[in-house]
Amino acid sequence: MAVVEGGDCRQWDEDAYRDSILADRESTSLTIFRTVFSPSPTNPNFIVAASSDGSIATYSLSSLISSLSPGFGNSRAQNLFVAEPHCLLHGHDGPAYDVKFYGDAEDSLLLSCGDDGRIRGWKWMDILEAKQDSLSHGDLLKPQLDLANPQHKGPWGALSPIPETNAIAVDTQGGSIYAAAGDSCAYCWDVEKSKIKMTFKGHAGYLHSVVARNSCNQIITGSEDGTARIWDCRSGKSTNVIEPGKDKKSKEFFSYVSCIALDANEKWLACGSGRNLSVWNLSASERISGITTRACIQDICFDDNQILAVGAEPVLSRYDVNGVVLSQIQCVPQSTFSVSLHSSGVICVAGYGGVVDVISQFGSHLCSFRYK
Amino acid sequence: MDLNMAEPGEILPDRKIDTSAYDLLQTTRTSVEDIVAQMLSIKKDGGDTTRSQLPELVTQMLLNFVNLRKANRSILLEEDLVKAETEHAKAPVDFTTLQLHNLMYEKNHYVKAIKACKDFKSKYPDIELVPEEEFHKDAPEEIKNSVQSKDSAHNLMLKRLNFELFQRKELAKLHEKLEEQKKVLQDTIANRKKFLSSLPSQLKSLKKASLPVQNQLGILHTKKLKQHQSAELLPPPLFVIYSQMLAHKEAFGESIDLEIVGSLKDALTFARQQANKDNGISTTNMENSKMEDDVVDEEDDGQRRRKRPKKVQVKENVDAARIYQTHPLTLILQIHDDEASDPKSTKLIALTFEYLLKLNVVCVGIERSNDGPESNILCNLFPNDPGLELPHQSAKLWTGDGPIFDEKRSSRPYKWAQHLAGIDFLPEVSPLLTAGADSTNGETTKQTAIVSGLSVYRQQNRVQTVVQRIRARKKAQLALAEQIDSLTKLKWPSLTCQTVPWFSHARLCSLQNWTIIPSHKPTTPIEEQNQSRQELETVAGPDTSKSEIENIREDGELPSLNPAATVANEIVVTVTPLKISGTDHSKRLALITKSVASPMSKGKSPSSRKLDEDLDLMLVSDDEVDEPLQSEPEPVLTGNGGVHVIDNSWIACGARDYRLVLMRKVNSGDGYIKLEAKITVSMEYPLRPPLFTLNLFRAASTETESEAEANEWFNELRAMEAEVNIHVIKTIPWEEENMVLGHQICCLAMLFDFYVNGGDSSTEKGNSTCVVDVGLCKPVNGGLASRTYRGRDHRKMISWKDNGCTPGYPS
Repeated sequence: MAVVEGGDCRQWDEDAYRDSILADRESTSLTIFRTVFSPSPTNPNFIVAASSDGSIATYSLSSLISSLSPGFGNSRAQNLFVAEPHCLLHGHDGPAYDVKFYGDAEDSLLLSCGDDGRIRGWKWMDILEAKQDSLSHGDLLKPQLDLANPQHKGPWGALSPIPETNAIAVDTQGGSIYAAAGDSCAYCWDVEKSKIKMTFKGHAGYLHSVVARNSCNQIITGSEDGTARIWDCRSGKSTNVIEPGKDKKSKEFFSYVSCIALDANEKWLACGSGRNLSVWNLSASERISGITTRACIQDICFDDNQILAVGAEPVLSRYDVNGVVLSQIQCVPQSTFSVSLHSSGVICVAGYGGVVDVISQFGSHLCSFRYK
Repeated sequence: MDLNMAEPGEILPDRKIDTSAYDLLQTTRTSVEDIVAQMLSIKKDGGDTTRSQLPELVTQMLLNFVNLRKANRSILLEEDLVKAETEHAKAPVDFTTLQLHNLMYEKNHYVKAIKACKDFKSKYPDIELVPEEEFHKDAPEEIKNSVQSKDSAHNLMLKRLNFELFQRKELAKLHEKLEEQKKVLQDTIANRKKFLSSLPSQLKSLKKASLPVQNQLGILHTKKLKQHQSAELLPPPLFVIYSQMLAHKEAFGESIDLEIVGSLKDALTFARQQANKDNGISTTNMENSKMEDDVVDEEDDGQRRRKRPKKVQVKENVDAARIYQTHPLTLILQIHDDEASDPKSTKLIALTFEYLLKLNVVCVGIERSNDGPESNILCNLFPNDPGLELPHQSAKLWTGDGPIFDEKRSSRPYKWAQHLAGIDFLPEVSPLLTAGADSTNGETTKQTAIVSGLSVYRQQNRVQTVVQRIRARKKAQLALAEQIDSLTKLKWPSLTCQTVPWFSHARLCSLQNWTIIPSHKPTTPIEEQNQSRQELETVAGPDTSKSEIENIREDGELPSLNPAATVANEIVVTVTPLKISGTDHSKRLALITKSVASPMSKGKSPSSRKLDEDLDLMLVSDDEVDEPLQSEPEPVLTGNGGVHVIDNSWIACGARDYRLVLMRKVNSGDGYIKLEAKITVSMEYPLRPPLFTLNLFRAASTETESEAEANEWFNELRAMEAEVNIHVIKTIPWEEENMVLGHQICCLAMLFDFYVNGGDSSTEKGNSTCVVDVGLCKPVNGGLASRTYRGRDHRKMISWKDNGCTPGYPS
């Protein structure tokens, strides 16, 4: 039992006990900023989670479910089962904000970014094999890729701190990684050369999110300044500025654009800013719908023509493009920072408390567990 | 013969006559016989011739007869004469015979006397005389020269005898003198003996008289001895505690005191009973009597000065009384403050150890404690040890169905107490038998087990650990009480540590409220947190009474035991956190609720639809159907749930909940903003720091409380919670540990201030949210365009420079 690490008066270790209490508290105050499914066409195999302590953990979904299955009823209520990760990587100093897979094949890279302004990439095969080589904790696993955001030079050559990277997007064909950084710039990295190919400057606040619209060689960023911008990757110029909060005047809260999502056809754009959810038709550059939700939206993603949105409440909402609520599913995290969808329809939500909740295509809870 | 010879003349003449008579008789007879013979022959022959002779013969015969007669007469006469003569001669013969006898007697007498003389034996050979040479050498002249007999040998002998006599007289005199001396000595001995026998009582009185002096001087020698005596009668577990504590005290100078109280007599009788019961052998009488003496001493010496601690024995029935029967002796442990400079350091706490005979457990209570929070101070001294459950299975068997230890008893069977008493390695034996170990195999192995157990015991520093923990606990509780005291008076807790930013921070908010939340069910602690949480959230709710009913319902069940929870995979369609969001939201949300393909949800959705409009009914329905959904997310909220949900009930044992409200005026615009914190202060304070659960309200005035804004501020509040619950504790120096509550509250106030500031600026900028930087304890250096927020969680930056904090990036 982790609780009685300090032992009793026979082998009392007060410091260990104190640490265990704090560790326990810390683990319950963790936030999982992103979960992502490993690339697999049919069934979801692995979930990769990036947490606010900078670690990145991979979980085998099948083993999670099987470990829960014997007493499913029990585990349903005891949803705070602490899962043993398949592999635990020390990803970043400070919170890890985003993880993405670069490529779909066997040689895909697992990319992560975090508060330390670094983008790191691991070979997914290495991570999978790490377990088999009994390197269960991937501390020894060296990142294949390590990119650091540039520092700004101040007067007399003083260097600013490395700005954080809040989100990444990938363009596999172009061999690029797009990073939404804390210095209000977005960067385009060349994966092969590990060099910055392009810098996208123009936002007035730091960037929260980025998506790549590969079909048009564009990226779209969401920023603290309350706008989303569409950038042309060839020129590095902003082609369009979307202001989701533009028509919401005065009384309504001004909000940063916390999350953006593109549909599979890259035609529609969903923007979450504060309590507003807006959907845009990119080809027509017009807003299709805009609704106000109960809580701040913190992540969205498209499921065909539907939008999955989560926010600072324990609910996963499903909207159509017109902003009509299709369903609301209770989920375990009290404040959800990540919703991700597998092609099979399995949804994974994660957020405050280090809680990950996996919901099947039918809306049932496959498993929910706590990050270790 | 002489007589016959003397008278021959006289008899002889008579004889002559006699002879004639006899001769006559003889002749006559012969003649008779002849005549007869003739007659016979005549008769035989017959014949006339012969027959004619017969007359003649007859005449002759007649003549002979006359002669015969004459002879007979003369013989008779003669005989008479002889008789007279004999008579006459007899007197002299008798006389001479008598004379002869006298002479013979006389002779015999003389012969005997001679023989006696001849047989006379002197005593002198028996007397061991000194040899002659020595006599000549040593004897005084007057004895040597004295002449007492003409016979020289005899004289010498006499002299020697005299000398002997002289010597003996001398010795007799000496003997007498020595006897006298001896008597004198014996007298003195008797005197001294008498003195000695009176000495113990004198000493005792001296001892008694010295007691106050000992007390005064702090040398409790007598007491110690007495304690040692009574320690022999302690049951083994208490004896282990006693001996180990004492050893620890003496070896390390730990400032603790031990005392054994209780009736020694009872203990003794108990020990004897036990001994008899165990193997029918009572210990030697000597020992017993010795002990008895001690006991008597004990009682005499006024042991009753101290009143026996009132045993809190709430006995519902005889059975319970039997189970909770305690050993007559109890041990009192006084723990002093080790940091006090005064050697007579202040008493921190006094613990009473008692031994329950039937259950074989050691119970610990606090001496002179009333029922109150004080009595719980030992609760969870070590993790998972609330003392409500009996520590071993055998004890549980005794109590039967009730696994929970009698809660009314103030002393509890904490696990650490059992470890301290070494019950984990002590065999169950009666106290008196442990001393005299038998040589049987089983007994020796037991002994070795005890010895090895004790060595492990010492290696583990059990005594030290426990004493330190108790001391730390008590100090922490004192410090905590002080802080709570000041908070109750709505004063900020005073901090001494200057190196923390919240020390110098000028607070803009005020302490508005500090109340203790009464805990409804101290024994079901997990739910308590849930419940309090619920309560917080329902403050603004429309129907608190209803929700309270609901809460109470939820109290009774653990999430995992929920029967409805066995139904897996249901899709949640109803909006459960109604109370969180207030009426508007719930209604709206309920209206837009839609069921997705699931049998469970289909079954449910009509009911929830139907009830959408009516919140009260909705709540009822929640009770009936959606209970699991209600309770499901709760543990996440509590913040210390996790996989240990079920096991964690001990954590909340003895925990108290407080409600703290910080209030600040909203700078621009009217109204106030209130930060409510529910603070769970665990008994393990400060090892387990107080846990803050925050909520935010906007209020029009200071009194009213309106609209909870938990949803909008959710992330911010959680970040503040993390800051207060975790990072503050890491920041404050080790010595300030006991003041952690004060630090947490001051830090919370500072965070709240920054938040409200941020709120102002954000309204100007049109921003609505701000977050507190979680990475407070690691200030970042360097210069960058000033930023207030950072990261995907959009948290507010607070930088820390020297001892002050400023919002935004460091400049």
